[in-house]
This record gives sequence, structure tokens and C-alpha cells, in this order.
Amino acid sequence: MQPTDIQNPSYFHKVVDCQWACPAHTPVPEYIRLIAQERYSEAYMLNWDSNVFPGILGRTCDRPCEPACRRVRTEETPVAICRLKRVAADNKGDISRFMPRVPQQKNGKRIALLGAGPASLAVARDLLPLGYEVHVYDKDAKGGGMMRSQIPAFRLPVGVLDEEVDRILDMGVVTHFGEEITSMKAMLDQEYDAYFIGTGAPRGRELELPGREQVADQIHIGIDWLASVAFEHIDKIEGKVIVMGGGNTAMDCCRTSLRLGAESVTVVVRSAFEVMKASEWEKEDAMREGIPIINNRPPKEFVHENGKLKGVLFGCVKPVEEDGRLKYVPTGEPDVFIEADHILMAIGQDNHCPWIERDLGLQFDKWDCPVLDDVTLQSTHPKVFFGGDSAFGPENIIQASAHAHQAAISIHLLCQHKDLKKDRPPQGVNLLSTKMGMHEWAYDSEHDPSVRNIVPLVEQKAALANVKVEVELGFDTLLGAQEAQRCLNCDVQTVFSEKLCIECDACVDICPMDCITFVGNAEEPKLRLKLTAPAETTDQDLYVSTDLLTGRVMVKDEDVCLHCGLCAERCPTNAWDMQRSVVHIPQLGSFAE
Amino acid sequence: MGVSYNDFVIRFANVNGSGSASANGMFAKALFRMGIPVATRNIFPSNIQGLPTWYEVRVNERGYLGRRDGVDIMVAMNAETLVEDVASIKPGGYLLYDNSKPLAKILRRDDIIEIGMPISTMLLPEFVDAKQRSLFKNITYLGALSALLNIDFEVITGMVATQYKGKDALIAPNIHALELGRKYAYEYMVAPLPIQVKRSDKVGHRIMVDGNTAAGLGCVYGGATVCAWYPITPSTSVAEAFELHANRLRIESGTEERKFAIIQAEDELAAIGVVIGAAWNGARSFTATSGPGLSLMSEFLGLAYFAEIPAVLWDIQRAGPSTGMPTRTQQSDVMAAAYASHGDTKHPLLFPATAKECFDFAALALDLADRLQTPIIVLSDLELGMNDNLSEPFEWDDNRKYDRGKVLNAQDLDNTEVFGRYLDVDGDGIGYRTYPGTHPEKGAFFTRGTSRDEFAAYTESPEAYEHNMQRLLRKWHTASTLVPAAEISQQDNSQQGNKVGILYFGTTALPMPEALDLLVEEGIQLDTCRLRSFPFGEEVRTFMESHELVFVVEQNRDGQMRKLLINEGEYNPQDLISITYYAGLSISAEFIKGEVLEYYQANKKLPRLTQVQS
Amino acid sequence: MTFVAKPKAHHPRLPLNEIGLTRRDYEGSVSTLCAGCGHDSVSAAIVQACAELSIPPHRFAKVSGIGCSSKTPSYFLNKSHGFNSVHGRMPSVITGANLANRDLHCIGVSGDGDSASIGMGQFAHIVRRRINMLYIVDNNGTYGLTKGQFSATSDKGSTSKKGAPNLYEPIDLASMALQIGASFVARSFSGDKSQLVPLLKAALHHKGMAFIDVVSPCVAFNNHDGSTKSYEYIRKYGQNVVNADFIAEHEEITADYQPGTVEDINMPDGTILRMYKLDENYDPHDRVGALNYVQRRKEQGEIVTGLLYVDPDAIDCHDILRTVAQPLNEMGELELCPGNSALASINESYR
Repeated sequence: MQPTDIQNPSYFHKVVDCQWACPAHTPVPEYIRLIAQERYSEAYMLNWDSNVFPGILGRTCDRPCEPACRRVRTEETPVAICRLKRVAADNKGDISRFMPRVPQQKNGKRIALLGAGPASLAVARDLLPLGYEVHVYDKDAKGGGMMRSQIPAFRLPVGVLDEEVDRILDMGVVTHFGEEITSMKAMLDQEYDAYFIGTGAPRGRELELPGREQVADQIHIGIDWLASVAFEHIDKIEGKVIVMGGGNTAMDCCRTSLRLGAESVTVVVRSAFEVMKASEWEKEDAMREGIPIINNRPPKEFVHENGKLKGVLFGCVKPVEEDGRLKYVPTGEPDVFIEADHILMAIGQDNHCPWIERDLGLQFDKWDCPVLDDVTLQSTHPKVFFGGDSAFGPENIIQASAHAHQAAISIHLLCQHKDLKKDRPPQGVNLLSTKMGMHEWAYDSEHDPSVRNIVPLVEQKAALANVKVEVELGFDTLLGAQEAQRCLNCDVQTVFSEKLCIECDACVDICPMDCITFVGNAEEPKLRLKLTAPAETTDQDLYVSTDLLTGRVMVKDEDVCLHCGLCAERCPTNAWDMQRSVVHIPQLGSFAE
Repeated sequence: MGVSYNDFVIRFANVNGSGSASANGMFAKALFRMGIPVATRNIFPSNIQGLPTWYEVRVNERGYLGRRDGVDIMVAMNAETLVEDVASIKPGGYLLYDNSKPLAKILRRDDIIEIGMPISTMLLPEFVDAKQRSLFKNITYLGALSALLNIDFEVITGMVATQYKGKDALIAPNIHALELGRKYAYEYMVAPLPIQVKRSDKVGHRIMVDGNTAAGLGCVYGGATVCAWYPITPSTSVAEAFELHANRLRIESGTEERKFAIIQAEDELAAIGVVIGAAWNGARSFTATSGPGLSLMSEFLGLAYFAEIPAVLWDIQRAGPSTGMPTRTQQSDVMAAAYASHGDTKHPLLFPATAKECFDFAALALDLADRLQTPIIVLSDLELGMNDNLSEPFEWDDNRKYDRGKVLNAQDLDNTEVFGRYLDVDGDGIGYRTYPGTHPEKGAFFTRGTSRDEFAAYTESPEAYEHNMQRLLRKWHTASTLVPAAEISQQDNSQQGNKVGILYFGTTALPMPEALDLLVEEGIQLDTCRLRSFPFGEEVRTFMESHELVFVVEQNRDGQMRKLLINEGEYNPQDLISITYYAGLSISAEFIKGEVLEYYQANKKLPRLTQVQS
Repeated sequence: MTFVAKPKAHHPRLPLNEIGLTRRDYEGSVSTLCAGCGHDSVSAAIVQACAELSIPPHRFAKVSGIGCSSKTPSYFLNKSHGFNSVHGRMPSVITGANLANRDLHCIGVSGDGDSASIGMGQFAHIVRRRINMLYIVDNNGTYGLTKGQFSATSDKGSTSKKGAPNLYEPIDLASMALQIGASFVARSFSGDKSQLVPLLKAALHHKGMAFIDVVSPCVAFNNHDGSTKSYEYIRKYGQNVVNADFIAEHEEITADYQPGTVEDINMPDGTILRMYKLDENYDPHDRVGALNYVQRRKEQGEIVTGLLYVDPDAIDCHDILRTVAQPLNEMGELELCPGNSALASINESYR
């Protein structure tokens, strides 16, 4: 193998699995260390810088970082990264001193952001410090978008939402709330310098089955219904409720129903439990509240009597794997009838931009998604950018933040008449030694074998009584500190200097995970087989040195390295050093830069 | 002149390597078999051949076994020492010598009776081989003595038959030589002499054996399986006796394999190292040495003390310092043994006084070592170790179980929540140990001579170190309750205010009954305390505190036991009067009597029986 | 050293040995030796060898003397008892341990100070006694714990860290072991586990005295130019004659070797000792030849490594002593005490 180029910003970034997996590339280990040091405000700001909504995400994030966490590979349970984010948000002090200053004197450029959801707000946050005049349009009277309309208050208290939405609006956003946009052409006519469309995926999918029309009053589209609850148009649901669908919206619908007085709530899912779209923890939360989830039951018919819903008839199928894909085949069991007075339909959402005229040069693909450059997020109309769910279909808040940063850069480059690609600022990496003295490192290198801490909850009776009572209490600072210690500090890298190595084997002998091998070089697949412990996780890199004096190379399998630093502690010549890799993800208005 | 029976000292002066030992031994044994109490002393040079050697037998109907000064009958067979041999004869005593050559004029004494016998001349025609002639000289004088002292001849001939069983060709010439001597005595001498022996019942059921043999046998009985040793006089015969007996008693039937291992090590350091290694690994083990070996073993003894490993060490004391007089007896290793090694180290000591006690203490020491997890040093000496003496016969209680001390097996460990090698669970200062390889998960620990905590982990913590040293003191206290108590005899004269005692240990006990009898004749009656072990038990403190004055009798120059008592008991030094004899022979009753009397004469206020009675 | 404990976590796919344990189950506590000390590599090699042999990790007795090397038994086989005895006396202690329980695997670790100076006598005599053990000398040619004095194995002319030359002739322990009668003699290098681990395995299975002199550089005091026990020097002048490999009873024998260069020896316990001769003229069964070869090469400044000599049919001390098969430390009164009845005739013999 060729020697590893550790100056490539991606190399060590990839080792920081959580940060690599985070769409917004939040520097997770760094903020966790700040939490451990009880520097909650700084931890919050580090989050705010990259993901914009730490308080909200600390409760609602899809957490792509957690399954990526190295702990999953070393001992099964990941660090509770999301909940630690909430610890930072819950315990931060006055952060106004850290806020970017927004110039009074504007730069003369006007930007329109359509939709006041996370994507638009994040773009606003990035552009405002550079002097842009930012206008946000939304049909609702308040900002927040789906964060407000689709996430129930028992998961995300309104206060937390308001705080983080207002923090951005207060930076000087010109709001046009309560104004439904009906024509993109009209918007373009206003001659903003750029447009960012962050209107989400607002259309809940329908299910056309026999009986659908007859019982229209008793069938509700999940996201719309949740929005009505959020805006307090609906405050109760009576009788038996069936929630159809297996995603997070379904989970929110069933739990909300329970709180609004439903006699019983049942989730019925077409597919198997394992492949449900809802996050593990959301399924667990629903089940903990006593809501049955019935799988492998495709609906066949809405059964009614004289226009009054009686229930739903479901078929019985079972999943069968065929060519690596799950197919559902009938089991032969008789159909199942489940009584219902209301049905909440949560089987998916779609982009929906009927207000964009199709003759503006803005192209849409066959799924009705805008045609975009996936780096610049520029549409086929040079002044129009997309982000969030409206860009590539429903994703999540953290993805919206990530889009927003890229869109903001694109808008800034556009306004400066620069090339959106060639002039894009590059990623970079800085490596800083953490050695402070003998056995002393600038991070807690000692491996903490504790298991993941459990988050405390509100007593269930109280939780179910009120849709606004937040279920999770979050980690207190003590639990937070404990959980923070579980972080493996994957951003503190084992950096190897060939020149200094005397091949004494000290690092090989001490490494608890058998990551390091000194061996004759070979092509990667062969080399992976020659290592002390099998290097079977091929998506994790091998760190390969140049040839050493004995003609061998040092090969380190990054897969399960605990970053304990023992190789560096035992190295007599400092050929190993523990260096913190700071990955620079280009972003406008970053307070960290 | 009247005839005296069974009360004399006879000394044989020989040349080392001339084969006299067997003849002299037969002499003593013959008397012993006649039921007469005898005590033998082999006074030999640190040499294999050619230097003078003496064999002394004290014959005493009353059973006094200590050495007595003055010789009644001198069998002078060594020309080199003739001057001093003649001089050592008591007035009225006898000199038996080879008058093949005339006795020099200057050696003539008027106050002794010379009995000349031309042994060499007699044997010239009888034995052609010069070496045989030299050997049979000894048998010939034994024959003469049988006539002179009136020894049962059948007893002697019987012994020859037993001794040369299997080598029948040797029986006839031996008997012939015996008869030559006997016949000569009857024909040319006044035989028997007024000093005679006669059958007695004073031996009783006692046996005649040396202490080292008893120790070796005791180690077999006590379950020692590993013996490592390095040859050194006068301890060698301990290991040899162990091997001899084990070779008979510890052979697995069928396989003929040995249930013991004996290693002649490269030096004393290795010997004690092997013992400690074996004991650490759960085998009962011992070594035997003498003073120089003890010095060499000191480092290891300190390790065993601090790391708490059982070990049994037999120190057969000889005259020091340094190489000293390797074939002479002393009790001069008391301090060196008690405090062997650097740092705050001390070791339990046992002081056997008889062969039976050697046997008993051998097994006891193995028990104590296991129980206390520390080296046990048995302080014998050349006098006890190498001389055949009367002893109670050996006994073993078949119900007795070895005390292996606090050892956890795998099952115990399964039931143990917390195992700490040096945790004082029972408050007696003794932790629980495990043998290597006992349990797959629990109970392994690291043994080291460095400071460690209760869980055997290395530490330099001041608290942990002190804590450990204090626990070792608690263990020391426990030891004082487990070691054999002193033997104390108090005269029934409490109202007479007798507040003087005499304290002694080991072979100093041998002349003591005689010394006490002699003192009573002088009006001095002493309470006695025979120490049998260190640390001293409560009974020793009571004895010391209930006596205004205690004579401490021992066989070294510096009064080491007296110092040990003062050191450990914090007694007033003025109350402990040292009586020391250290010339290399064993201490005699006369010497003790003389020293006590001298003290009484210098301190006239001390109570005497006569004064009290008057 | 480090005060950070080595994490208990281990590689999730670390291989299991035949008794279901990983190499980590054979480890000890974290070393307090200097970072980069060759001795730690020797400890790691012992860990690997014992794990690969699938011997239960509590069935060893680890004994050492005093010095850097002698600290190492703490650093491997935590589940076994260890004994850090006194300077130079490991051989006697391990002799006792082996006599007490012949079923335990005895590993003695010593250093060049421990074995070639203060313990020279005990070294020589344990070899003579043929104790069934693995005797390892971590040989770095220097006194580490007292900060860099020359040791008796230091080559004449090699220099101290400050440049002063050693004026005295060295003692070659491997040659001594050959001369006194060790039935397994090898030399290796702490920095070459591919050679050392198989040697250790073969030695652990050898019945009798197995001696391995391991050149184990001292990074603190003897790894400079001018040292003949540095990583660089041994890599440059080490000359491997015979590589050994150990093949367990039931392992398949593969034959991917050049005929004539490989010799398989059937060991008494059913295992196979495979020897790869790197120097075809070298005969590892010729004690005198081995001695000559080692000494001749030494004259040329070379260090002969590998399996120097082996006598697969060697006997051990228990054979010599004809001791019973059952470990002596398992016996109690029943087996050991002849009882009172036997005393009657004994007493009679003293009458």
C-alpha cells in the first residue's frame, strides 16, 4: 500500500466517525470534552456553529453520529452523543458574548429565504454576519417550520424551539410570516440577489383504499394533524385510534393521540419491525408508553357502516428475503380486522411546490424534486438554491443545517461573482500535539469501560396527561459528565513518525486493541490479512507508514483504536504522538474561525 | 578400696580416621544395653585423618548426662596427645595405654594408676595387614576394657554380630581381637578394677540416639517433602538422616518412586532458596545448616519473613565467630537466628534439649511454619546433634493432622468474596494464602520482598507499610501463644521467699539436674525455667517477674539469651545474671555450680537453705 | 512506565485459543519499565506463546530475582502466582517450586546482572540440576535500575552511554548453558517476535532445562552507537541459524519447506518440534559443535541466534530424583506420615 497521507483532510476526519457521519460535521469529541470540563456554553457554541440548533437537535436529532460511534465497534453501545448535546444546551450560560456581530451597515445584497424552517434559518444565520439583508417568508405566523408543526411538544418544548428560532430572527431577519407564497415568479420579480427555498416536504401521502372517501372525516394526514395539535386547533381525539405507518411521524402521532385522550392507540405497519423507518429510540418510547406496534399487516379496506368508520381490514404477510431484498408474501392467515374510530395516516411525505411555475427555468425531475447541484445546491435557475427536505426529499434537521451551510457559501460566492465550485473554500486539517508531559495528555486518555447511561424520564402518568410535558428529563450534569467520559476522543489521532521509530515493538505490545502491526508491505487486501488482529472492517482505513529500517512498514488498523494513547506513552522515541485533528469545514460566519 | 559402680568418665584418645569410632561406640552401647545411663561426647577435629580425636563416655547411675570435668579412665591411643591426656586424669584415675613402647618419664604421675598393654606388639603376629592391625587395636582395647570394667561380654559380642551382619567374614576377626584384649586383661592385669559397671534398670525404655538423626526422622514424620542442604558440620547428618529414613519410609509401593525430593545445593543460599520456593508452592520443606550457613541464609530469611513464606531451618550450632571451631559446640547463634537479616526482622526459634525433642520439634516446626507463614529456626547444637545420648523413645499420635495453616483451596476461593493475601481477616496477623495454580480466576498473587498492600500490590505508601509492619507484630504475638511453652519448676518454698531462679535452654539443660543437686548441697535451691522457644510466652514473663534474680545459663561469650530476654522483655539487666561457658566443650554441672556459688559469695544477702533454716 | 491502566477492552475479533481464551487473558499488569524496554517485548512474547499453547493461564509459576528483568513476571500471566525473590537467587527458588509441584509450568526470568554476576553460581547449578523449566535471561548488558553500569555480559570494548569502553571480557550465558548441560539452548532478540515466540513455545514444551538468552535492549542506557546490545547492532550482526516452530499434537503437519532444511522432532509429549535450518551446516544436536560455532562467530562480532541446541530426549530433575508422579505439595499425612507403628522398630534400632 502507498503510505497514508495524513495531511489529507478526509483521512483523520474519517477516523472521527461521529463527526464524519454528521451531515453538519459537528466536532463531537471536542464538544464532549468541553462538557466534561463543565464548559457548557462553549460546548453549546461549538454545536451552534455547525448544526445551528443544539437545543432542538439535542432532543430530536436523527443522530447519524450514534450508530457510527466507534464504541459500537468496540463494545456495542455508542456514546449518548445526542443527549450530551442537550446537556450543553440545558446548562449553557449567557452566550450573547459569543454571538457573531451583525453589521449595522449592510452589504447591499438582499436574499430571500422561502420557508422559515431549519434550512432557511440556518442560511440566515450564516449570511447575516456578513451584512446580507435577509428576508424570510413563511405561511405560518411563527418561524420554525416542521420543527414547530411536526414535532410534538412532549419531545420538543416550545420554549426551547422559540429560543433557538428567535436567536436567529433577532439577528436582524426581515420576516414575512403569515404570508403564503403562491408564485415563485412573483418572488423572482422582487429581484432579490438570491433565493433559497427551504419549504420542506409538506405533503403527507395518501392511501387510496376502498372506503377512503366515505370516511374522510375520520382519516387524518399525520403531519397535518400534528400541526393542528401544535397550533392548538385540535386538543382531543376520541375513541380507538389506528396509526398507519412506521416512521417517526407515526410514532409522534400515536404518542400524541394517547395524550389527547384516545381510548386506545394501535400502530399498524405494512413492513417488518426491523425495517421500520422510525428511529430505534422512538419505537422504544412508543412501546414503553404501552402502544402496540403490529407489523406485517398491509391495509386492505377501510370498513364503515353508513359512512361511519368501524375499522380497518388488514392482510397478513411475512417478509421473505429475495435477492438481498425483503419481499412480503401472504401468510395465508385470514385477514385481520381492527376496530377504529380515527385513523392517522403517516406513511410518508413528499416535496410539494405547486407555487413554483414550471416555466421559470427551474427544472424538476420525475419525482418532482428540483434538479440541483449536490455540492452547491444551486438549481437550474442560477439565483435559486434549495436546501432541507425540499432539496432531495424528506431527511432531517441536521441535514437541513448541512445544506444550509453549503447554500450560504454558494449564495455568498454568487453575490461576489465568484465561481461556485472553483472558488469554494477547501477543507483542511490541523494536527496539534496533545502531549503535556510524561503520562500527561491534553485529553483524558484513560478508557472508561462504563456502559451507556440511561436518560431519566418524567413519571409516565404525568407524561401521558399533558401533550406539553417533555418526557425526557435529559442527563443532569453528573450523568452528563459520566457519559462524556465514555467518549473515546477519536479526534485525538495516533500520528506516526517513521524517522523516529526504532522498531522496539513497545506500541505493538501495549496496544489493547491489537491495532498496530509491523509487517512487510503488501496490497491492501493482502495486508489486511497479515495484521495481528483481523482487519475485517474494510470501510475503516489502514494507516500505513513508509518503509522502516528493517524493510517493514507500520500498519495501524484505525477500526477499533481506543485512542488511549498507550502507544505514544510506551514509545521511547516519540515516534508516536497523540495529536488532535481539527478538521476545517468551510462555513460562513463561523464564530470558530 | 571399695568398688564403685556405674559412675565414671572414660575418655578415649585416638587419631582421627583410625576407625576408633566404631569400637568406642560399641563400648557406650554395651553399657547402655546393660541398662546403665551413659552420655557420649565425640570431641573431634575439623579434619578427616590424622588429627587427635577424643571420645568421652560419662557413665552415671543417677542419670546425670552433662559433661563432667576430669577423667577417671583414659584410654590413651594417640601418642600426639599423650601429655595432655595424662594430665587430664583425675587423681586416683587410670591410664590405659599401649606399652609396646615405654611411657616417657615426664608423663609419669604418682597419683594415677597406669595400665599398660602392648597392643601393637600383640597384634603384630595376629594381623598381617597394617591397616587391619590399626583397626583391631581399637577392638582389642575394647576387649580389655570389658574385663577391666566387668562388662557383659555377650553384650559386646552380640553387638559385633549385629554390626557386621551380612559381612560375616568380619565377625570372627573382631571377636578374636576382643578376646585377645579380654584375655590379656585377665592374665596380666588386676581385672576387674574397683571402678566397674553392673547391670541397671536406670535406662528404662529410653533409646540412645543423636539429635540430628531424630531431627531427620522428625522431618519425615512431620511431612517434609523437600529438603535442600549444603554440607556443613555439624548439621550434615540432619539431611542424611532425613534421606536415610525417607528412603525406607517414603517409597511408593509398586513404583518404588520417592515421595520426597532432596537436593544437595551449591551453597546455603541456594539451599534456603529451594526451601522457600518449595514452601511457597505448598510443599513442606526444610534445610539444615550451622552458623556460617545461617549468615549466608540471612537475606533469604528476611525475604521469607517479609513475604511470609513458611520455611524450617535447623541450625546445628558450633563454635563461632566465623569458621570458629567447626567441630566444637556452642549456643552462639541465638541473636543471629532471632534477628537474621536486615530491617525489622525476627524469627520464631525452637530450642530442643533432647533427641526426642528434636523429633517432636521437627514436626512441630513444620506445623508452625505453615501456621505462621514464616521461617522457623530450630537451634540445636553439635552437642545434641552429633552425640548419641539417652532419649525418650519417639512417639507419634496417629490422630494427629498436619496443620497446613491458612490455605485456601479452589472451593474456598469460590466462596470467598474478597481475597487479599495480606488481609488480617481473623485478627491474628495471619493472612490467607493460596498455592500457585489453585484457581483459574481467583487467588493468584505476587510474592515479593518489596513493600506491598493487603492485596499484595506493590506500594510505597507510608500508611500501607506501617500497617503491614504492625500486622507482622500482631502475628509475632500470635506466635508467642503457639510455640512450645517454657518448662518451669518452682520449689515449694514460697513462704521461705526464694526469689532466685535459673534459666537455660537447649543442651544447657543436660548438666542442669546435676548442677541443681550440687547447689542444694550448698544450700542453694533455684527455681528453673527451661526455655523451649522464642518469642517468649507469658509463662516466661511470669517467671521473670516473680524472681528477683535469674541466672541465665548459656554457651556463648556474650550472654545472647540474656540480651534477647532484656531486649524483648524489657527486664532490668541487673536482675539477669549471666553464666556463660563457651570454650567449645559442653557446659558442665561443676561449672554452673561454681558460677552460682561465686555469685552467692559475692552477694551474701541472697537466701540459702541453711540460712533460712537456721 | 505509565499509570494509565491498559484498557480491558480488546479487539472484538481477537482469536480464541483452544480453551476459549484470548491473548489478553494471559497478560499481566502494565509495565513500570521504561518505555521501549526490550523486556516488555519479551513479556509480550511470553503472553503470546502461552496463549497459543492454550495452557490455562493460572498453571504457571513465575519466579524472578531482582532487577529490571525480574520485575517482568508482574507483567504477564496475571492469573498465575509470581515470586520476585532476591538478587541472583531465582534458580534456587524455582527449583523448590518445581520440586513441590512438577505439574506447574515454571518460568524463571532473570537478567544479565542477576544471572551472570551475583547469580552466576545458581545459574550454573540449576542448569546442572536439569530443572524442568523455561529460563529466560533478558540480556541488555547493563545494570538498568542502578543507572547504566556495565554488566558481566557487556562486550569488551562496547561503550557506556557516555562513551567509556568496557574493559573486561564478557560472559556468554548461552555458551555456558551449552557447556554445563542444558538440554535446550537458544538465543533470540526481543525485537523479533517471529523468532522468539516459537522458541518460547518449544521451550515451554521441552522437558528439562530450557534456556533462552534474549538480547533485550535497554533504551535508557544501552541503545547508543558503541553498544553491542542495541536494537541497531543486533539487527545488523545477529545471525539466525535455526528457527524453531512448535506444532501441537493434533495440528496438521504441512510440508511447505525445502527438504534438507527442515527437521521435525517428535517430542515425548506427542508434539513436534520443527526446526528450519537457515545455515545448512549447523547441527542443533551437536552440543560441542554448537559451542564452537557460537564462539567462532562471536570472535567475528556476530551474535548467533535461534535454537542452538536441543536434546529432545532429555530427562529432568524429577527423573533424576525418581520422585512420584503426584505433585509433592498435594500430599498429606496419609501419603507422608509412616505412623506410630513404624516407630517401634525405629526405636528398637536405637537400643
